[in-house]
Amino acid sequence: MITVNTREQAYQAGMTVRDLLDRNQFTFRHIIVRVNGEYVPEEQYDKAPVQDGDDVLVLHLMAGG
Amino acid sequence: MKILVHKQELCTGCRACEVACSTAYFKTPDRNKSAIRIINNDNSFHARKCTQCGECIDMCTAHAIYRDKNGVVRIDKKLCVGCLGCVGYCSELVMFYDDDLTEPFKCIACNICVKACPENALEVLVSKAG
Amino acid sequence: MRQILKEYTYTPATIQRGYSGKSLYLNVSDLRMEEKVVTEFMKEKFIGGKGFDLWYLWQAVTPETRWDSPENEIVMSVGPLGGITQYSGTGKTLVCAISPMTGIPIDSNAGGYFGPLLKFSGWDALELQGKTEKELVIFIDGNKGLIQFCDAEGLPEDSHLLAEELTRNYAESEEDQVNVSVVSSGSAARNILYGMLNFSFYDPRRKVVRFKQAARGGLGTIMLDKGIKALVVRYKGIKGNTNNPADVATLNRIGVKYHKEMHDLDEKQNGMRKIGTANTILVMNQYDLLPTRNFQTGGDPAAVNISPKVFIEQYLTQGIHDGCWYGCTMSCAKTADHFRLLTGPYAGACVTVDGPEYECVAGLGSNLGIFDPRAILEENFYCDTYGVDLISFATTVAFIMECYQRGQISREQMGGLDLAFGNSDAVLELLHQMARGEGFGPIAGLGIRRLKKLFAEQFGSDPALLQDIGMENKGLEYSEYCHKESLAQQGGFALTNKGPQHDEAWLIFMDMVNNQIPTFEDKAYALYYYPMFRTWFGLCGLCKLPWNDIVPADNYKTETPAKVPEHVQNYVDIFNAVTGKSIDKEELILQSERVYQFQRVFNIRMGKGLREHDYAPYRSLGPVSREEYLSRQELYDRQLREKQGLDPASMSLDEKIATTRAYREQQFELLMDAVYKRRGWTENGVPKPEHLREIGMDLPMLLEVIEPHL
Repeated sequence: MITVNTREQAYQAGMTVRDLLDRNQFTFRHIIVRVNGEYVPEEQYDKAPVQDGDDVLVLHLMAGG
Repeated sequence: MKILVHKQELCTGCRACEVACSTAYFKTPDRNKSAIRIINNDNSFHARKCTQCGECIDMCTAHAIYRDKNGVVRIDKKLCVGCLGCVGYCSELVMFYDDDLTEPFKCIACNICVKACPENALEVLVSKAG
Repeated sequence: MRQILKEYTYTPATIQRGYSGKSLYLNVSDLRMEEKVVTEFMKEKFIGGKGFDLWYLWQAVTPETRWDSPENEIVMSVGPLGGITQYSGTGKTLVCAISPMTGIPIDSNAGGYFGPLLKFSGWDALELQGKTEKELVIFIDGNKGLIQFCDAEGLPEDSHLLAEELTRNYAESEEDQVNVSVVSSGSAARNILYGMLNFSFYDPRRKVVRFKQAARGGLGTIMLDKGIKALVVRYKGIKGNTNNPADVATLNRIGVKYHKEMHDLDEKQNGMRKIGTANTILVMNQYDLLPTRNFQTGGDPAAVNISPKVFIEQYLTQGIHDGCWYGCTMSCAKTADHFRLLTGPYAGACVTVDGPEYECVAGLGSNLGIFDPRAILEENFYCDTYGVDLISFATTVAFIMECYQRGQISREQMGGLDLAFGNSDAVLELLHQMARGEGFGPIAGLGIRRLKKLFAEQFGSDPALLQDIGMENKGLEYSEYCHKESLAQQGGFALTNKGPQHDEAWLIFMDMVNNQIPTFEDKAYALYYYPMFRTWFGLCGLCKLPWNDIVPADNYKTETPAKVPEHVQNYVDIFNAVTGKSIDKEELILQSERVYQFQRVFNIRMGKGLREHDYAPYRSLGPVSREEYLSRQELYDRQLREKQGLDPASMSLDEKIATTRAYREQQFELLMDAVYKRRGWTENGVPKPEHLREIGMDLPMLLEVIEPHL
C-alpha cells in the first residue's frame, strides 16, 4: 500500500514516479512531486522508485480562475 | 546595422567609457546611468552593452521601441511609459534603468565612448546587413 | 464633433500616492456634475476600487431600489495601485451597481485603459446616476479638465464600430488614439438582462480598438437603460510615476524582477503569452472539469478540436505584446486577426476577435456541445460587440439546450430555433435575435432564474428538474467549471457575495486532486483566505492572473505553494511603495475582509445575503440524471462504499442516485456551517456584530441592518 495525496492506493512492485503519475492520469505539467517529503525533480520521474509504504504527494499547481 | 564592439584584450577596465556615456546623456559621471558597463572578471574585462538584437521591440507594452534607419534599436521617450518590461525581458541584461529616470536606456552605438576610450578597445562597426 | 448638451470644466487633482483625493458624480437626469472629496475614512476602510464603489452605491440606493430605478448607480474605480506601469496586471477598473440578475450589488472588473485614464484625469471614482430619454455620450478630458454631456445621435450600436468611431472622434491625432478609452455596450444589451460593458484600448500595432469586459451581472443593460450610450476618457502623459508613488525605487525593483520571471518561466509554466487563459482547456478535459453539455459531464474526446494548439496554430497572432494595460508582460489578451465573419449583420467583414479566453471556449464551446473553434470565435465576437455577458449567455443556453434535450420545452416554444447541443448555427442565430430584439432572443436574455419560472408556468416544464439543472445561484449564472467532485469549490461558487463567479476562490485542484484541504475546517479556511485575498485585487485595481498564473522558480520550496508567498509579498511591497503605508500580509487580508463583510451586509440590506440564498442547484453538487451517474458509476459506487458504508451492488440505480444526493446535500450543509463560522457569521449567514468589531468594521449603518437578523 502507498499513499498518494493522503489517499491509499495499491503498491505495484518496481513502480516509479512516472508509473504513479500515469496510473492516476496526472497529466498536468505543472506539478510538484514529493516522496516521503523529499522533492523529486521532473528529470528523475522515469527513474525515481516508489517503495511500498511510501507517502507520495503530487501537488498540482493549477491556478485556475 | 551599427553595433558597438568591445575588444576584451585591449580593455584595462578604466571605465572611461562609462563616464563618457553617462556624462553625455545624463550630465553626470554615474556608472548607474551608463549604457555600457564594464564588468571585471578576475581582471579580465568584458562589456555589457546592447547587441541591437531587437527582441525588445515586439514585446514593448507601449510600442515605444523601434529600429532606426541605421539598424539601431531605440526607445521613443515620448511613447515610453516606464514599465521596465524591456529590462526584465532583455536576454542580454543590457537594457538599463535608474530610479532617477522615467525611461530605461540602452546603447545606441553613438560612438561617444569609442572616442573616450584611451586603449582603443571600443569600436562601432557598420555592417550592411539589416 | 458631437453636439454638446452641457459642459463643465474642472481643475484635475494631482495624484498623490495613488489617490487623486476626488471623485466625480454625474447625474444624467439633469446633466449635473459634482466633485466629491475622497475622505481618509474611505481610504482606511475601503481602500479603493470595489471598496469605493460599494461605499458610494450604499449611499445611493435604498432597500427598495431595483436595477432600473433612476437612483441605481454605476460606480467605477481603479484603486490606488491602478495605473502603475511597472508590475503586470495593474489597470483593472472595478464596476458595481444593483444587478438586474440578482437584485444585489454586482461587482465586475475589466482591463482596458478606462480606469487608469479616469484616475489620472483626477478622479478616484466615477458615479453615474439618473436616467435620460435622450441618449448621451459622456466625455472626460483629463488634460484639459473638461466634462461634456453630448448627444449620441447617429452613432453605431455595436461596440466594435461605436468604440472605433468615438476613439477616432475624441483623439486629437492618429497617434493620440492610445490615450482614449471608451466604455460601451451593444445592441443586444437593450433586449436582455445580462448586457455587459466593453472597456476599450487602442492597439497601435494592429491599428484597431480592442476590448476587455466588465461582463457579469448586467452592467451594460443598466448603462443603456440610463440612456448612456458610451463613456469616453482621454488622458495623455502616462509614466511609471504618474501615481506619484511614495517609493518608486521599490516599484521598479519588484517590477523588473517580475518581468524577468515572466521572461524566464512562462513558456515552461502556463504559456500565458502564447494562448492566455485558454491554456487550460485540455487540462480541464483530462481532469473531468471541462463543463460539457450544461455541466452534465466534465469532458469530451472532441475537446482536442478546441485545444490551445488549434487556436495558436490556426487563429491567434503570436509574438507581439498583448496586454490590456501598459507593463503587463503576462500579456494574455490574445486576438484572432483578420477573422472573416460568416453570419449576422457583419457577415463577410474581416474583424479582430479579442479572445478566446478560457471561459469563452468552455462556455460557448464544450458546455454547448460545440467543438468547432471557428464557430466559437464567431460567437465570441458577437457576444462582445453586441454587449452580451458570454458566461451568462453560455450557461443560460446550455440550460435551454438541456431542457430541450429532456423534452421540457419544444422547438416551437423556442420560436423554431433548433437549440440542440452542438448546433452552433442556432446559437449564433439566437445571438442575432437578441441584437434585433426578436423571437426567442429576448426570452433567453432573461437568464436562468426567470426562465425556470417562465418555462414551468407557460410551457408546463417540471419545476423540480429545472431547479436541479439550472446552473444559477442568487440569480447569476455559474462560470465554466464542472466542479461536482470538489465540495470546496461548490462553496467557492455558491457562498460568494455576488453570485457564482470563480473570482472569489478556485479550489478545485487543491481540494479534489491534491486533497490538501480534507476536513471541513480546512475547506472553511480556504473559503475564508482565498476570497479575502482575491477581494484585495479588486480594492487595488489589480488583475488576479499575475499572482498565480506564473510562480517563482523556487515556489515549490515554500510551505504554502498555492498561496505563492513571494508574490503575496510583492503585493504588500507594491502597496506600501505606492501609498507610503506599511501594511503586512495579515493587514492585507484585513483590508479585504472589511469590504467583503460590508458587501455581505449590503446583500442583507437588499433582501438577500442569508443562508437560504446560498444554496446551490444540485447539478453543482452531484449527478442529477441517470446518464450522469452512469458516466462515472465506478467513482460514485466507490463513494457509496467508502463514504457511506453501503453496498451499491444491492441498490437500484435510482436508489444510488437518491442516496448520493442526500449525502452530498448534507455535506454541503456542513460546509456552510463551517464556512459561516470561519467567516464570523451566524448559522443564518449574518455577520456577527462582535466579528465586525474585531475587524474594525462595526459601523452603525451595518449594525442597523443586521440587528433584526440576530
